[in-house]
Amino acid sequence: MKMKMKRKVQETAVMEMEKENEEELSDLSEEEDGDEGGGGPGGPLKRSRVQGKSLGDGVLKPVKLTKQELYKPPTNEELNRLQETESLFHSSLLRMQMEELLKEVTLSERRRKTIDSLVQEVTSLLASVPETTDTELSDQSWVPRGVKVPLLQVPYSVKGRFRMAPPLSVKLVGSYPLGTCSKPDVNVDLAVTMPAVLHPKDYLNQRYHRKRALYLTGLAHHLSSSHAFGSLRFTYHHGNHLRPLLLLTPQGKEERSVTLRLHVCPPAGFFKPSRFHPRKNNVRTAWFLGQETPQQDISEPPTPHYNNSVLSDMLLESHKSFLSASAADFPGFREGVAVIKVWLRQRELHQGYGCFSGFLASMLVAYLLSKHKINSMMSAYQVLRNVLQFLATTDLTESGITLVKGTDSTLPALSEFHDAFQVVFVDPSGHVNLCGDMTASKYRQVQHEARLSMQVWDNPKLDGFHALLMTPKPLVRTFDHIFHLPAVVKLQAACKKMELLSELMDHAGNYVAAALPFIMSLLQRGLGDRVRLLAHSLPQSPEWTIDSEPPKHKDKGLLSFGLLLNPEFSTNTLERGPPADSAQALEFRKLWGERAELRRFQDGSICEAVVWQGGSAFQKRLIPEQIIKHLLQLHANIPESSVRYVGALLDEVIKVGREGGSTGEEASVQVIQSYDDLSRKLWNLDGLPLTVTSVQGAHPALRYTQVFPPVPMKPDYSFFRVEKSHRSLLPLEGKPCPAYVPAIKVICHMEGSGKWPQDREAIRHIKAAFHIRLGELLGQQHRLICRPAPTHLDVYKDGLVFRVQVAYHRELQILRETMTPEGMVRYRDNEEALRLELETVHRPYLTSTLHGLQQQHSVFGATARLAKRWVGAHLLSASLSEESVDLLAASLFLQPAPHTAPSSPQVGFLRFLHLLVSFDWRNDPLIVNLNGDITATEITEIRNDFIASRSSLPAMFIATPKDKKNSVWTKEGPSVQILQRLIVLAAESLRVLETQLTDPTQPQDVKMVLRPPLDIYDVLIHLNPKQVPLHAQAVDTPRIVFSRGALPSGAAGGSGNMPVVDFNPVACYLSELRDAFEELALFFCDPFGGTVIAVLWKPQAFAPQPFRTAHVKARLVQVKGSEAQTVPNVEAILEDFETLGAGLVREVEVRSERWTV
Amino acid sequence: MAPTRKQHASLGFEIPSGFTAIPVKFQLTSKSHHYLYVKEHRVRSENNTKRPLDRTLFVLNIPPYCPEECLYRILSPCGLIQSIELKEKPGPEEEPEPEPAPSKHFRTQSSKGFLVAYVVFKKASSVTAAKKLRPKEAIVLSTEKQPIKTGLQRWVAQYSSASLLQADELQAEVDAFMQAHDKRVAEESARLAEGDGVPDGEGWVKVTRGGRRPALPRTEAANLRAVEAERRRRAKKELLNFYTWQHRESKREHIAELRKKFEEDKQRIAMMREQRKFKPY
Repeated sequence: MKMKMKRKVQETAVMEMEKENEEELSDLSEEEDGDEGGGGPGGPLKRSRVQGKSLGDGVLKPVKLTKQELYKPPTNEELNRLQETESLFHSSLLRMQMEELLKEVTLSERRRKTIDSLVQEVTSLLASVPETTDTELSDQSWVPRGVKVPLLQVPYSVKGRFRMAPPLSVKLVGSYPLGTCSKPDVNVDLAVTMPAVLHPKDYLNQRYHRKRALYLTGLAHHLSSSHAFGSLRFTYHHGNHLRPLLLLTPQGKEERSVTLRLHVCPPAGFFKPSRFHPRKNNVRTAWFLGQETPQQDISEPPTPHYNNSVLSDMLLESHKSFLSASAADFPGFREGVAVIKVWLRQRELHQGYGCFSGFLASMLVAYLLSKHKINSMMSAYQVLRNVLQFLATTDLTESGITLVKGTDSTLPALSEFHDAFQVVFVDPSGHVNLCGDMTASKYRQVQHEARLSMQVWDNPKLDGFHALLMTPKPLVRTFDHIFHLPAVVKLQAACKKMELLSELMDHAGNYVAAALPFIMSLLQRGLGDRVRLLAHSLPQSPEWTIDSEPPKHKDKGLLSFGLLLNPEFSTNTLERGPPADSAQALEFRKLWGERAELRRFQDGSICEAVVWQGGSAFQKRLIPEQIIKHLLQLHANIPESSVRYVGALLDEVIKVGREGGSTGEEASVQVIQSYDDLSRKLWNLDGLPLTVTSVQGAHPALRYTQVFPPVPMKPDYSFFRVEKSHRSLLPLEGKPCPAYVPAIKVICHMEGSGKWPQDREAIRHIKAAFHIRLGELLGQQHRLICRPAPTHLDVYKDGLVFRVQVAYHRELQILRETMTPEGMVRYRDNEEALRLELETVHRPYLTSTLHGLQQQHSVFGATARLAKRWVGAHLLSASLSEESVDLLAASLFLQPAPHTAPSSPQVGFLRFLHLLVSFDWRNDPLIVNLNGDITATEITEIRNDFIASRSSLPAMFIATPKDKKNSVWTKEGPSVQILQRLIVLAAESLRVLETQLTDPTQPQDVKMVLRPPLDIYDVLIHLNPKQVPLHAQAVDTPRIVFSRGALPSGAAGGSGNMPVVDFNPVACYLSELRDAFEELALFFCDPFGGTVIAVLWKPQAFAPQPFRTAHVKARLVQVKGSEAQTVPNVEAILEDFETLGAGLVREVEVRSERWTV
Repeated sequence: MAPTRKQHASLGFEIPSGFTAIPVKFQLTSKSHHYLYVKEHRVRSENNTKRPLDRTLFVLNIPPYCPEECLYRILSPCGLIQSIELKEKPGPEEEPEPEPAPSKHFRTQSSKGFLVAYVVFKKASSVTAAKKLRPKEAIVLSTEKQPIKTGLQRWVAQYSSASLLQADELQAEVDAFMQAHDKRVAEESARLAEGDGVPDGEGWVKVTRGGRRPALPRTEAANLRAVEAERRRRAKKELLNFYTWQHRESKREHIAELRKKFEEDKQRIAMMREQRKFKPY
């Protein structure tokens, strides 16, 4: 399956291949994103699409103010605003950003009117609900056809009688009257008070809930007959299946703009609140189990969650009035809550069972107001900040908070709440725990996010607003590893295994809610220090039409879990437990079951321990998977097959070697060890006329980012032409192209001395002499095979080939020296000097810094390699230099906000794609703060410089501490068009990958994102795989494998001859093609085993041009009268493709007729 | 395709701007061909001996697989060839290199792609002869006698020749070059030393790099350094926020700064709003 790309975008990209930097993207029409109400699942992508393009003049220009404007006397108003900005907000930019954001989410006046009229209509309709006769609760024959009771009535038989009657009252509650209701989910809550159909003893055994559901059924039927609504559906209130809601949407095109939610609640104070003390039982075991007579000796377990659900209904109105009182005279309240809701929504915390809802956020703001941590003068930003600060520092799982003022001994104590619930936040009445459904781990996730956000706000180098409020954090991009339980029904067995009957009763049979806290604490115990955070997705509330049965628990979709790994411990293969004779040993054995064993440690102690399998870094990264699967199987009866672990699906494509047990980290380490040894040897060489001052690596393999790190190679002599006198092997024409041996570049700086000549030619010669000398000495003193050349020295060591290049630090200056006519020496950049600087300064610097980064973040290398592999697979690696991809990957680790630095290549790669898609390349420089060397003021400077000279800078601008103004690595490309194409490809890949990774029911083929769409290219040159040395690395492992003259690593073979180094016919061919047809076409190829070269004609080269001596390359002259015009000689060019690549090209396939002039 | 070919009975033809097109193809079996465009070399401003105006033929669009020898073979029927100069772009001759000795190892990168050539004949008549070339068939470049290596063969050959480099030969070349270089440098410094310290007619003494009293080097960087040092010295003397006007000035500057920032931010916001960057989801 190939990805479908937007043909239009590609063609636009192709049409203007020339460097007209400014206007290419403007012709893409602005996508009008009409529906304001629906965020929908496509949300993030849609947003990024919008970002990818710009309006006609979407480029920032430096601001120019006249002197008069700058220095006019300030007005009072202006001074006030400037001052206010300083005190209330971070900066004026943040203030304006906040204002804009609020404008986006607040409801328009028009929308409010629609809502108001809708509410009125519903209220009047509800007043006319017809009455029905009194029936038994279990007799539901009166329920009209076309409406189903929105409650799972298990067990079915309940005592009590029910009839329909008009509601006592219908009142607006929740966010809408409070003004905190915000887009895109505009929900307006209506509390419908049940008439006198309740019995005071209805708190027992779900009787109240049955009546509530039946009443809702009646309402639904009544409303459905009116045809005034677009749709009527049921859902659960925050996923709590005891509290169904009726959803109403208006008719017509307003349908998606608002949802009315009908809550049914008992009259205020109908039940005595003390009945719902968290220690009281209101669901009888006998009834729940369907037994006739209660067993006498069993003490009934408390049902705090059940109690909570009844109380929440009863207190809907009083909560509303409490919040209204708090929000009065406090404009920041409304805005602050709106911003917090945005923050929560971006983190997917805002809905589902046990979510941190907007209601909870309002309550928290009210709490902070009552505790004087917030005052009514504060701005939205300050409210947000204070709430985050509070969340970050307060652990509600340990020390709960209450909104009750004063002390009342009749109310349940906080400790009693703590016993019953995991997270405690008591409402003003003192009876309800507002966080009743929240699990401890969900709260910890909130806390983690708050802490992270505070760090971002406090970092002057970051754009906190964008990172925290505008960037979505979906599960798959937030967590290092995720896993799914696609079949939640397995949790039913888990409940049985874990003996959770009383929890099941409390949750009225919702086994997902009952089992979740226990599974989380089990995994948390098992994973311990290996994870920084273990989180779960919130079971979402399904919506269903009123004529269908309510969904069962197992139909609520899959449950996903996310792990933030702690790289320090997550890869430990050994879990050391308590000493064998201690009291905890039993517990340890109980937790780990048969995996626990006794071990003697080096310090002599004998301890319980668990050992996990893990040889390579790749396998070690997956130890959490082993742990989770083991624990779930052992303690919760969940078989391994029903746990779908998504931790390393992508790693497949960077695996090295036949066995596939490693993703190449080990090979990289081997290369670096060999290099370290070589550099020591170079340092200590005896007999050099000048000493070596530094040896620096300048090759991706030396910074762990070579997609396929070089592996030691033992040549099979029979495969080569052996040139004894030069101790070299040479390729033979008849054989398949020999295995590719990369030349690992090493820069060797020699000491400065007066003896160095001051002339560029002379320096070149001296360097050649050094290469010869170094080669001789390495041969004599260390028996290494060396082959000198004027520009470098090849050293064959440990099966690898290093290409040592001597450098002299003054050479750069000498190359730049020019003499003015007056005789003054000036330094001016020129191409040669820049190239040398890149090679001897920038690349070694980058290599050593990124090598350092790898030491801090062990998955940096793998992330960069995945990214490069992806860029290569889409045939674009010629336009995006390796170094720039490395830098992009590095930025994910150096500036992870709003995330934490990736700890698995998978999440790193996803964020790489997201960075490509979401970053505003046109208006922002990407600042990669290596080693944190760039200060906040320098960042501003970089931005200003960037804006001032945007048009002359590359399309993709990356600033580093050593390169703040030029972006040396992206100078050569990508061009605007290629960048645009990259963005389109990245968006599509990201979408495909994320759906695959988050939805186990999708076809799981991650390689799909690495198969390039070839339909836009004009000509495809198919290569003969036999002559493609890296053929075996292709994305889809080829079935035919050619012998390429390499002996297996164990075999005995000579290493006395220099192997064939850096010989890649494909690269030779590509460079010849580009040299010859640069003006006419673009050539694309996957460097990692690609067997196709894709050619794209440049359209403007195909327009007939007048005959000019500088532009006749490969062109045909057509004489028309006295004028001569030229067009490309396509037929001959196509034949040239074959001629130039004789022996390598298998077929030239012409795919389009676009070239016919 | 290629309607031009059918229009002309003979494959070669003339172009209004004075060029003659000569068809060439790679090998006998090739189905299509390129054209060489030839014309006498006629550039007024150029008057050097290497491209005598009357005897030089200017050749355009030489395919990348056509080496110098091959061009020689094509054009030699027109007359004896003195020299061929292959270049990537038409243009004036490069400055003669200071190193006259042709180097085997330190050659600058050879030209690539479609090339142009300046062919100097022994006789002026050969140029006209070349312009009259009208072959019936496209001229074949790679013949059985003189095959041209392309593709894999070529790359293998290139790799082999680059690998089979004699270290001692290279060393010898380096030594020879350095000797010549050292000699030149010695001469130069001797010439400079001669002038050092000797007052000229008005009594000015010339100071050179290698002289006894080394002076400030005359470089841009040194000039800048001197200016900077001077500025710093002056700044040290100045008093800040001492006079009332200075206070006033600094306040004004502060407000102006804030205003400027504000304007910048406003522009940024306006743009982001247009791009709908504030739609959080």
